[in-house]
Amino acid sequence: MAVPFSTVDLLQALSAGLLVGSAYALMCIGLGIIFGSMNVINFAQGDFLMLGMYAAFYLTTGFGVLAFLGPYGGPIVAAFLAGPIVFALGWVLHRFIVARVTGAGVSQIAGAGAYGQIIVTLGISLILQNGGLIVFGSTPVGIRTPLSRQSWEIGDVLLNQARVVSFFFAVALAGGMYLFLSHTRLGKGLRAAADNPQAAIYMGIDVDRAHRIAWSVGVGITAVAGGLVATFQTFQPYVGFDFVIVMYAGVVLGGLGSNFGAFWGGLLIGVVQQMSTLILPYQLQNTAIFVVFLLIIFLRPQGMFGRLSERT
Amino acid sequence: MNRKLTRRSVTAGLALGALASPGLGIGIARAQTKAVKIAMIAPLSGPWARQGQLLRMGSDMAVDDINSQGGIKALGGAKLEIIYADAGDSTEKAKNAAQRLLSDHPDLVGGSGAWLSSFTLAVTEVTERAQLPWLTLSYSDAITNRGFKFVFQTSPTADWQASETLPTAIKLAEAATGKRPKTIGIIQDNTASPVSFGKQLREGGGLDKVGLKPVVDQIFTPPLSDATPLVDKVRSGKPDFLLLLTSAMPDCKLVLEKLDEFKLSKGKVPLVGNGAPFGSPELLKTIGPELLEGLLFSVANWPMKGQEEFIERFKKRTGEPFLTQDGLCGYGDVAILKEALELAGAADKLKVAEAIRTMNLTTGPAAQSFPGPIKFDDKGRRQDVPMIFAQWQKGMPVTVFPTELALAKPFWPSV
Amino acid sequence: MRTRAEARRQRWAILGFAVAILVLSFVVLKSAYYQLVLTQVLLWAVLSLAWNLLSGYSGYFSFGHAAFWGLGAYTVALGMLYFDLTPWISVPFAALVGAVAGAIIGYPTFRLRGHYFALAMLAYPLATLYVFQWLGYQELALPMKREAPLLYMQFEDPRAYVVLALGLVVAALLISLKVENSRFGMALLAIKQNEPAAEAAGINTWRWKMLALMLSGAIAAIAGGLYGVVLLVVTPETVFGMLVSAQALILALFGGVGSLWGPVIGAMLLVPLAEGLNAELGDVLPGIQGVVYGIAIIMIILWAPEGVYWRALDRLSRRSPAPHAPEPAAGTIATPVAANVAPLPRAPAPLGDDLLVLRDVGISFGGLRALDGIDLAIPEGGLYGIIGPNGAGKTTLFNVINGFLAPDPGAITLSGEPITGLRPSQVCRRGVGRTFQVVRAFPRMTVLENVIVGAFVGAPDDAAARQMALAALDRVGLSARSGAIAGGLTTRELRLMELARALVPHPKLMLLDETLAGLAHDDLDGILTVIRQLRADGITVVIIEHTMQAMVKLVDHFTVLDHGRLIASGQPNDVVRDPSVIEAYLGKKWVDRVAVPAK
Repeated sequence: MAVPFSTVDLLQALSAGLLVGSAYALMCIGLGIIFGSMNVINFAQGDFLMLGMYAAFYLTTGFGVLAFLGPYGGPIVAAFLAGPIVFALGWVLHRFIVARVTGAGVSQIAGAGAYGQIIVTLGISLILQNGGLIVFGSTPVGIRTPLSRQSWEIGDVLLNQARVVSFFFAVALAGGMYLFLSHTRLGKGLRAAADNPQAAIYMGIDVDRAHRIAWSVGVGITAVAGGLVATFQTFQPYVGFDFVIVMYAGVVLGGLGSNFGAFWGGLLIGVVQQMSTLILPYQLQNTAIFVVFLLIIFLRPQGMFGRLSERT
Repeated sequence: MNRKLTRRSVTAGLALGALASPGLGIGIARAQTKAVKIAMIAPLSGPWARQGQLLRMGSDMAVDDINSQGGIKALGGAKLEIIYADAGDSTEKAKNAAQRLLSDHPDLVGGSGAWLSSFTLAVTEVTERAQLPWLTLSYSDAITNRGFKFVFQTSPTADWQASETLPTAIKLAEAATGKRPKTIGIIQDNTASPVSFGKQLREGGGLDKVGLKPVVDQIFTPPLSDATPLVDKVRSGKPDFLLLLTSAMPDCKLVLEKLDEFKLSKGKVPLVGNGAPFGSPELLKTIGPELLEGLLFSVANWPMKGQEEFIERFKKRTGEPFLTQDGLCGYGDVAILKEALELAGAADKLKVAEAIRTMNLTTGPAAQSFPGPIKFDDKGRRQDVPMIFAQWQKGMPVTVFPTELALAKPFWPSV
Repeated sequence: MRTRAEARRQRWAILGFAVAILVLSFVVLKSAYYQLVLTQVLLWAVLSLAWNLLSGYSGYFSFGHAAFWGLGAYTVALGMLYFDLTPWISVPFAALVGAVAGAIIGYPTFRLRGHYFALAMLAYPLATLYVFQWLGYQELALPMKREAPLLYMQFEDPRAYVVLALGLVVAALLISLKVENSRFGMALLAIKQNEPAAEAAGINTWRWKMLALMLSGAIAAIAGGLYGVVLLVVTPETVFGMLVSAQALILALFGGVGSLWGPVIGAMLLVPLAEGLNAELGDVLPGIQGVVYGIAIIMIILWAPEGVYWRALDRLSRRSPAPHAPEPAAGTIATPVAANVAPLPRAPAPLGDDLLVLRDVGISFGGLRALDGIDLAIPEGGLYGIIGPNGAGKTTLFNVINGFLAPDPGAITLSGEPITGLRPSQVCRRGVGRTFQVVRAFPRMTVLENVIVGAFVGAPDDAAARQMALAALDRVGLSARSGAIAGGLTTRELRLMELARALVPHPKLMLLDETLAGLAHDDLDGILTVIRQLRADGITVVIIEHTMQAMVKLVDHFTVLDHGRLIASGQPNDVVRDPSVIEAYLGKKWVDRVAVPAK
């Protein structure tokens, strides 16, 4: 039933959307880097998110390594540490498995690489989920921090502290990634390898290594997002599923190939998801995401900031 | 009076039995009598693996208890053997599991499962056609609405629970505060049981019957991403109490924490929930006891008075902090099947089914595992079942209603 | 692409497969469980075949086939629950639902390409999933009909379902076979290879894509309907979920994408594997079955990246060399082009009336004016060159002429008839041929097969198309290689093949886009000779190039574009001396060093 809403409701939904969206945005950046640099659709992205959640969890609550930092700082540091941990795992996975079905060498054969990579990433997803069940167990867990139930107040609008903290760190990390990609040699090399692997090789860029870095950074960033989300949400090994769709919608919305766009795409998805509840039945939150997603794809196929598709 | 004595003596018997044969395995077989096979289908992998694990804990314990106390007497002390199959994460897997069980073990005499109502629906389509008696703890009324003869629902249907939950909650409120609540807020997800529950309230006139006006009425699709818009409506709607029908623990957590964040917790808006996830140890671990204090929830089955020894034994055996619905029902289903076998006097699935249809157990481990007598109507639904209410008190969810079965006294949360 | 004999052999293979399955079901397998798994193998194979029909053949990857599967299942479930409709009617009806859904989905979505298309397709079943939950259809159980089970497709003997599912598989295989051997299949293949080229060669790509999606949707939906009957319980996650769409893809990719048998192979390998792992390991160590399955598919795909079918084929063909298409008779082989050909004397070519006229043509992309005020008149029978720096708008100009872009403003006429706003396939039918900068060949097909794929316009049947393709290959001097596998061609040969494809429909105007780019000196002369021969045959040729030396030797007339504007036009010698051209493009040093001396 469409019930008229007040300004407070509007602002509350908007702020909820931005906060939720910031987590999505960070996940999308991770996916976007991989997609933008390697043209790989990584089905396992949600499961790396899950690994990040568990990494952060074990660092704080599980093994208590960061317990000395207290319940406020600990979880955030843990979230950031989850990044390098998953980065390393991603590195190994790429080196031994993923590189065999992606990259400059493979993309030459008409379409052959595309097929292999879909199945490989799907296989990785299955291994991570089910392996996660075996290693972590089935009981849903979450990081305990008082931030998850406290909020700052701006007028009548309540802003959940855990989510706000996560928001700022997500934005900071996104900004850092943007600078890294546009201003460092490594970052520029990644973009060159993405745009034109052949040319990049001729220019002396080790495309294979660039891809490995892109892949590992991509899963690492998504893992950090997972660690941040873990401060306010409980999870179990199969949680990746719930986020994969949102990540893809965000990346495509923002524009494939643009990391900047991936950030805004994720943010927009969050906003649409929360604000749709003002006028639509709550159950259709995610349908609203897809409707907006489709609308943008049709009106502007390259997304908000993406590059246009192939040359004739 | 009589019942209490009998209960105590049986509990003593169980305790003695436990002391006499600590956790012996099922392996001991008598040379002459073959083992009698029952099945359990539960999600052992996938997103609901935790629930399957709990069910299995209960049923394993039951099988051990039965076998260590002489097996099935009517069958010459034959041992009970339980076969597990993984329902996985899809109805297809659940159905395959059921078909596989039947094909691999044509001598099954009964079974239970599969926790998730859509899995149970799929499994029972197979078991009905095979005429295998099947027990389930699922709340959804669709399960026993199909005119099936071999499906037995140990939990009261969500529909019935809806008609019982509110009047009791209101009575408690009135008794505690002297005022009768006039408005209600409803927050629920759209899985089968909450949907039937909610349907009874809205279309079935449940709300009208108790004179409650819904000022907040929200249905969401799980998993919940953020509870802010939901709780914001509670803040502006200001219901006299809030009914929560969320069937997954992560969603419970988000809503409860959000209520706290909006300063609507700790008695400001009394909370009534429905369903076992409200009493799960995971919830305690992630939220903490202060936030849960006073949370009242209705549930099909919960550890009751008279089960104290049993509860302790379960905790020691499994390492779980406390016993919940799933473990209890897992145990109880096996106990019911055992009783049916005793009544039937033969390892024959048709006779077992008939025994279940005609049984009226008020004593024994089976009856002890469920509130009310074990008696099924022609639809396969239990009759004369009291609605169980549990409440979080000092970090433990304890049964508080009905009084005969309660382990603690209820209180209505207030500021 | 297949000969009639091959098609017949495939039909026998399908029959053999059906018999084998029946034997398996009625003689070998004993338990109801195995029959159920077999039924599922067959149903998933149908879904995957449906997916392959669209995505395997046309290259338009769909991540959303669950939409059709789910609609089929719900059609049957809702039909039975609300209208007491028997599945014997609702299952076939589901095919209609699937086709309509395909049309509705295809209409907007085919405007997208590549990854965008695939991911947009992802959205449909997922959006629908939430809608069905909202509508209250969380769990639908098909009612048991004890009184008239057969009327409602409720069989006691599980083998009946095997037979029904097998029927669907056979139907899907036959349909795929028919499509593969018809223009439909060739159109899809052409679209997969190079859609703009296909469009430019006269194929109405939109129509064929829509047809493919509708057919694919219909087959997927009917299979989904039967799946609902078999499972008896329909929930939104079960039939609209991501896993369903993923399954359709995986089975086909695993088995061998774009092949007839790939999806079936994939289904027969993977579905029993997954179920077997569930059965054996499910209660031993929960989760281990998923890990083993994941490892298994990774290992196998690393061994066979294009699918088991192709890999097996490769293995077998390595032992016995694959039969090539028969070489054309000796008499039709054109004389090979001479290695070093001196530039033809620049006698003024006999120029006819204006063939192609552009009047005030312009176009913008966003805020950028890519072409502005282009006035061009290309007379019949000449060799016309268009040059300019990168980003000048040369390819855009071709795209406008061809019909890929609509000029705004501007008008274009061909032989006096307006062609502004026509689809590229229609422009092609008027007699315009086009090559593209990026040559995409089918590496596993022969040169002849690659060219036939473009031989649509004006070919009444496959035999005629073949003849026309051979003739075109002859024209470019590639007849000797017509039976060679395209994956082994050199750049020069690839360019010639591309030329041949554009030549098949006997165009009167040829638009060549950077045909000479990247060729070594020797190769260059060879292609130049072919192009000159085209002019000698009466075809008007307009060519975009960078290599000034070759162009100067080749063309009668130059036009120079810079920043979307025409800055010079005329005889090569004059143009290269034009100060604005030098400034924009050539540079002083070039002029001093290389320019041909004035007459």
